[in-house]
Amino acid sequence: MFGGVFGGGSQKPAGQMAPGGMGGGMGQAQMDPNAQLAAAEQEMEMVTDMFARLGDLCYRKCLIQRYSDEELTKAESVCTDRCVAKYFQVNREVSEKLAKLSQTN
Amino acid sequence: MYNNYGASYQEQRLQQMMEQKQLKDFMRMYSNLVSRCFDDCVADFTSNTLNDKELTCVNRCTQKNMKLNERIGQRFAEENAKLMEDQAKMGR
Repeated sequence: MFGGVFGGGSQKPAGQMAPGGMGGGMGQAQMDPNAQLAAAEQEMEMVTDMFARLGDLCYRKCLIQRYSDEELTKAESVCTDRCVAKYFQVNREVSEKLAKLSQTN
Repeated sequence: MYNNYGASYQEQRLQQMMEQKQLKDFMRMYSNLVSRCFDDCVADFTSNTLNDKELTCVNRCTQKNMKLNERIGQRFAEENAKLMEDQAKMGR
């Protein structure tokens, strides 16, 4: 309707990214419907929050020269790609580290 | 007990919830964009209307940020797909 929350270019309906994405994997098969809906809602909340954070962070780090042009420059495009990739990597590193730390306790 | 909720009713509730979230998220994104473009483009208060430079800046700002979000969305979807693939491999 508004070109999608997750960017008009991706052309993916929101449903493809919500439950089960972001490694939620909450084994929803046996849950009661209300809990299932709440879990889906929470997961979607997490995803949209992450997307908003990415938008803010990559804007700050990559759009340095504002605004010489309407289109993204090559440098800005490349920076954005790397920004998202690194963010996800940080996400993985932090969650692995946290898991290890909580195990030793 | 759970048979009270037909699968299509559940789907409907899910659909409604997602639409509401998308709407809310769009409104938030719009407000943030206005703030951001104002912050980045407007510094001259000798007048109460935007001058040409500011107008151009605001147009570019809007376009540029929409393109940025679009690109982030594409990379996000790719990374997310990778993440789900990795988890499937780990047998979650």
